Amino acid sequence: MIELETVKPFFTDKDELLDEILGRYPEYGRRSAIMPLLWEVQRAERHVSEARIEEIAEILGMHATEVKGVMSFYSTYHEQPVGEYHLQVCSTLSCSLAGADEMTDFLVEELGIVNGETDAEGRFSLQKVECLGSCGTAPVLQVNDTYFERVTRTRCVQLLQALRSGELPEPWRERGGDNVSAEKATLGGDDA
Amino acid sequence: MSDAVMGEPTPIISRKDPRYQVTMYRHVGVDGAWTLDYYSSHGGYRAAKKAIADMGVPDVIAEMKASGLRGRGGAGFPTGVKWSFMPPVDGRQRFIVCNADESEPGSFKDRYVMEDDPHQLIEGMLIAGYAIQASIGFIYIRGEYHLAYERLLQAIREAREAGYLGSNLFDTDFSFDLVVHRGAGAYICGEETALMNSLEGLRGNPRLKPPFPAQAGVYGLPTTINNVTSFASAVHIIDKGAAWFSAMGTEDSKGTKLYQISGPVARPGVYELPMGTTFRELIFDWGGGPSMEIKAFIPGGTSTPMLPFSDEYLDTPMDYGSLAKLGTMLGTGGVILIPKEKCMVDAMYNIVRFYAHESCGKCTPCREGVSTWLPKMYQKLLAGLGEPGDLELMEEMVTNMRGTAFCPLADACAMPVQASFKHFRPEYEYLVEHGEPMYPKRSWWQE
Ligand SMILES: Cc1cc2nc3c(=O)[nH]c(=O)nc-3n(C[C@H](O)[C@H](O)[C@H](O)COP(=O)(O)O)c2cc1C
Ligand code: FES
Repeated sequence: MIELETVKPFFTDKDELLDEILGRYPEYGRRSAIMPLLWEVQRAERHVSEARIEEIAEILGMHATEVKGVMSFYSTYHEQPVGEYHLQVCSTLSCSLAGADEMTDFLVEELGIVNGETDAEGRFSLQKVECLGSCGTAPVLQVNDTYFERVTRTRCVQLLQALRSGELPEPWRERGGDNVSAEKATLGGDDA
Repeated sequence: MSDAVMGEPTPIISRKDPRYQVTMYRHVGVDGAWTLDYYSSHGGYRAAKKAIADMGVPDVIAEMKASGLRGRGGAGFPTGVKWSFMPPVDGRQRFIVCNADESEPGSFKDRYVMEDDPHQLIEGMLIAGYAIQASIGFIYIRGEYHLAYERLLQAIREAREAGYLGSNLFDTDFSFDLVVHRGAGAYICGEETALMNSLEGLRGNPRLKPPFPAQAGVYGLPTTINNVTSFASAVHIIDKGAAWFSAMGTEDSKGTKLYQISGPVARPGVYELPMGTTFRELIFDWGGGPSMEIKAFIPGGTSTPMLPFSDEYLDTPMDYGSLAKLGTMLGTGGVILIPKEKCMVDAMYNIVRFYAHESCGKCTPCREGVSTWLPKMYQKLLAGLGEPGDLELMEEMVTNMRGTAFCPLADACAMPVQASFKHFRPEYEYLVEHGEPMYPKRSWWQE
């Protein structure tokens, strides 16, 4: 009986959101809503539980096993909750050449968890991920939805400090390339 | 580099050419460039209006063909030709799809365009949507691109309110709207048929081709798929004309393109350059030169075979044909520099691990080769357990992976491995012989 609270359907009281998501796709493409629906749940609850899978299946008129089959293909949806701060270190080549492996070792040591784990308090999860499309500003650390770029050791220490005090800082915006060259302002282009 | 005194003007193949103008990338990095206010005060939606209100569909396609634009997603298929492949309008729904799944390591141009200049993508999709007579466009964006997603949604809202999206656009009977669909962490969904499956709410496995998307695309309906910067290019081709675009570049590669450079270089990032610009110009003049001694460079994303960092290769024009001649590819134009002190076997293991992780497991050569045996062999070597015969076995393995898999992912892994053997076999041999790498592990992290 104590489970009752958590089993309350996720999309109850969210008619507007549900209509908006289903309305994105043509009637014959209703199934397309599966990914956005999984997203909403994952985002809010940091994982997608069995009950939510069944709920989504019902909304879309599918079997729960079908929803699960789709869900398991993608690495973003988790069956177990990730921590409040989900630290994702890009470990692909350009980031590795900028110190991603050392950053991972540092985080492992600091947080006392290894790749794929969540700490006992549910505070931090650590995950090595593949290229985040930010290779010019490597190394990159993604915290929940936010990219932190050019994470030097100093920046990493500061970021971890902020997160431990419960604050997700504003990311410093980095662009590199054309954006840092002084001539950018004088680049042509008729804007009339 | 002025025009030839007589006859045809010389093509623009360097950004140092005074005739060259940055177009696609000129608003990236400017604060607030993502708002409609900013975009419309910089000529925004002028090209869409021109195409939709003043040009017939065949004219738009003819202009695109004449421009010589080749798709910027990696394969380089001529965009105008692709658009002309759509079947005649027959009352069925048609779709234009933007491939914004950008996940080939070394590539990060699409993200910046979507974050800082989302209206440019919307405008490009409007033009393409009109050209193929589609009333719905999907933008399939990789799930990690959260800021870009938010900016796109905001821009779409603004465009709807201002009447750039919706019914009877520019007082014509053309109607068009956009839907943004987020991926969820799967590289393979960048392959266009896998992308369509994912968009339909299925597992992102590739489909057999043919049928091509124009015949049976999303929901089995006529569909055209292009990369973010193919659409962005279309805006300026329509605005400035095909002749302006084709005045840049080389024989088989026209126009301007967003190149990326990463690894140990003074100013990594995205640079918009005319096609045919040399690697030397990108790396030294725009990237500011290497910040460490370099031994190799990857020309266009990790799936493109690497080249040694030597004069012989640095003066190669970054275009499709020149790279094909060297047995490699232009790919996404994402150049990665590999420093001398990075163990090449370790660097290749990093790349192999990526493809191993991203293999969808559907076909045998990829599941067994890419995602199982190849990474195991690398682990064995790097653990110092390599034995005589291992290298030959690996070479044989990658040869057998070539051209045998269901989709190009296995090739994307096999080709760079082959290139590393071709140019850096001594590092593999050293590792097998000594049980430790020629260049020992070191820290790359900056304080
Ligand atoms: C494994 C694989 C991954 C791909 N990833 C992408 C991608 O992230 N973005 C992209 O635009 N094209 C990608 N492509 C190429 C697409 O299949 C397709 O050719 C492209 O989107 C067409 O657009 P274009 O003609 O404008 O280049 C990938 C291809 C393969 C085989
Ligand atoms: S390698 Fe890390 S963002 Fe591309």
